[in-house]
Amino acid sequence: MKKKGKGIGCTFYGTGYGNGFPDVSRSIAQLERDGSVTVYVGATEVGQGAKTVLSQIAAEVMALPLSGIHFVCENTDETPDAGTAAASRQTYNTGNAIKRTAELLLKEMKVTAARHWGVSTPGRISMDSGKLVHPENAAATLSYREVAMIKGQELLRVEDSFTAMTTRLDDETGQGNPYWPYTFNVYGVEVEVDTDTGKVSVVKAVCAQDVGRAVNPKLIEGQMDGGFAMGLGYALMEDVNLQQGHMKHDRYSNYLIPTAMDLPDLEKIIVEAPESTAPFGAKGIGEPVMLGVAPAILNAIYDAVGVRMTEIPVTPDRLLVALKQHEGKEGI
Amino acid sequence: MALRVVGQNEIRVDGKAKVTGKALYPEDIYMDNMVFGKTLRSNRPHAHFTLNLEQASQMPGVLRIFTASDVPHNAHGVLFKDHEVICRDKVRRVGDPMAFVVAETEKEATAARDAIQVSYEDLPAVFDPEEALKPGAPLVHEQGNLVYRFKLRRGDVAAGFQESHAIVEQEYRTPMVDHAFLQPESGLAYMEEDERVVVCAATQYPHFDQLEIAEALALPTEQVKVVNPAVGGAFGGREDVTMQIHLALAAQHLKRPVKTTYSREESFYAHSKRHAMVMRLKTGADREGNLLATQVTIYSDTGAYASWAINVLRKAGVHATGPYVIPHVHVDGYSAYTNNPYAGAMRGFGATQIPIAHEMQMDALAELLGISPLEIRLKNAFVPGSVTATGQTLSESVPLVECLEAVAEKLGLKQSLREVSP
Repeated sequence: MKKKGKGIGCTFYGTGYGNGFPDVSRSIAQLERDGSVTVYVGATEVGQGAKTVLSQIAAEVMALPLSGIHFVCENTDETPDAGTAAASRQTYNTGNAIKRTAELLLKEMKVTAARHWGVSTPGRISMDSGKLVHPENAAATLSYREVAMIKGQELLRVEDSFTAMTTRLDDETGQGNPYWPYTFNVYGVEVEVDTDTGKVSVVKAVCAQDVGRAVNPKLIEGQMDGGFAMGLGYALMEDVNLQQGHMKHDRYSNYLIPTAMDLPDLEKIIVEAPESTAPFGAKGIGEPVMLGVAPAILNAIYDAVGVRMTEIPVTPDRLLVALKQHEGKEGI
Repeated sequence: MALRVVGQNEIRVDGKAKVTGKALYPEDIYMDNMVFGKTLRSNRPHAHFTLNLEQASQMPGVLRIFTASDVPHNAHGVLFKDHEVICRDKVRRVGDPMAFVVAETEKEATAARDAIQVSYEDLPAVFDPEEALKPGAPLVHEQGNLVYRFKLRRGDVAAGFQESHAIVEQEYRTPMVDHAFLQPESGLAYMEEDERVVVCAATQYPHFDQLEIAEALALPTEQVKVVNPAVGGAFGGREDVTMQIHLALAAQHLKRPVKTTYSREESFYAHSKRHAMVMRLKTGADREGNLLATQVTIYSDTGAYASWAINVLRKAGVHATGPYVIPHVHVDGYSAYTNNPYAGAMRGFGATQIPIAHEMQMDALAELLGISPLEIRLKNAFVPGSVTATGQTLSESVPLVECLEAVAEKLGLKQSLREVSP
């Protein structure tokens, strides 16, 4: 018999190394002779979209199109240390570092322009469509390329950093401010349980993800799809199956992960609540997007068949045993 | 604030190279005069061993077999330096590296690796974190099996349970799982003219790999350059180094580019796993469904090496309440060495395991109290200004209720889950 049920998984996630450990990202920004900007930063693109999202943050500050930003992150000679691509920290930490660095570059460009124009107030120079505008004469402008030409052989190059603020927890009481910011995630799923085979199919799934502010909605949706697949595998399939320290599942013929056939279309809801300490309000979502999946599925299984599966993965054989035990109890 | 680029669905800047196959992954890199390395790994979970290299070193094409005595500073690790680059005389898990064989071709390196004779003397082993902490348990490392003890104390849980109308007590278990990233580890190292060693391998943190390689080879940091080509997925599995130091060591001695590529099976043994956890929760609520107390005990299995054991258990402990206000909280966490594969970073980092437990507790409590899973969550959910179990005030950007309501609407969870289910 096929039985349906629904469940929710509700989670939060503290970003970064945390616990007062210095969580530092550094970056360099350089104005090129053609007026484009190169960002040098040791932040790895692991597929999460760091190169794109961090470039968007630089482009926003510099009032350039995305094509006006070159992003270099591939080796330790050219780039400063921006910490690890983990703990969902690159958008928040390195995003902040790049925002500060780009702002510093812009400030230096205004100083150059002010000197060129012979004005004493670089802070009053404004920006309009990728050009610097004279504080007293709106008709007088300097393109970024012109600013670079004024500098001549010397390239404008600045470096800045960002350090996240957390505190160390008390060893005895665990009290303190261990992470910041926190990101929230909720999944809701509907499952269909085949009580004859023990197979659980997820037939409907919804994810609402707090993002602070969405830097790139499509990339966030991509992360949600990936996190959903990984969470579904965690709940229903994946286990290295340890026997006396040996992994019995050490290849894809027996370590099963979800395929497209196992995944319903995920309904994706991006919830914005800008965070004031974050670059343009954006928080990291790389890990949060998977957290609610497994608990939502487990709760939906209970809703469908009345057994709480307290050990994952809920493989068909495990579920069949649990259903048998449950029937036995019901019979009494 | 009007934003122009932030908020736009810009096409990924690395997208075209990846879909057209132009992106360079470490395995795609070939150099003139390149040679190949293969790693000999233990097939015992806990043993002393000796190697007989006589036959293997005579095999065709073999250039050198690197062992522990070739490594100037034979230690690495993200928190504790408890990994040996190449094990000297003891292995602590299946998959521990015991030798790195370099030959002219990959085939020759494999044949020589397989010709090494290993004599094992098995040691008593332990595979469960709770067992590992009992007196008399086999010691994985000399200093004892307890890697980290986490404590969180807030309010008075005994009083909280006394006032509770409904209490749910349950044990939850999660297994070790793999990151299952697309691209198995591959890498290449070579010497530059100025005697600097260059290591190309996919990593999450090039600057940390640089430090680890420099320390192990006793080189100044600037004598090591790490190049990070396209990364075929990571999810935490590329935080601890795997082949990086082996490659650098071999390139340094042989003065030729050295490459190695793991098979999928070897990849499973080479990198970390998600920590398996045993989580025992006792959670109480009043008649209306307001959470009053939770008592949580977590045993975390870090396997043979510490990697991020401390940070992962701490993250699990801090998130043990779920995103809910609970006045009385008591968390005890233990992270222990065992002779299982080593556990480390993996997407969620401790905050993935614990929701399995707290979210099932919530549903069980709701059922006892006759309210819906949605209602009990809305009643206790963090809102701006809420204080967490560690005493941290969530001052802003806390749209949890919005997320819950959005999901409830899409899933048709109006009043009670059980009423609307068919």
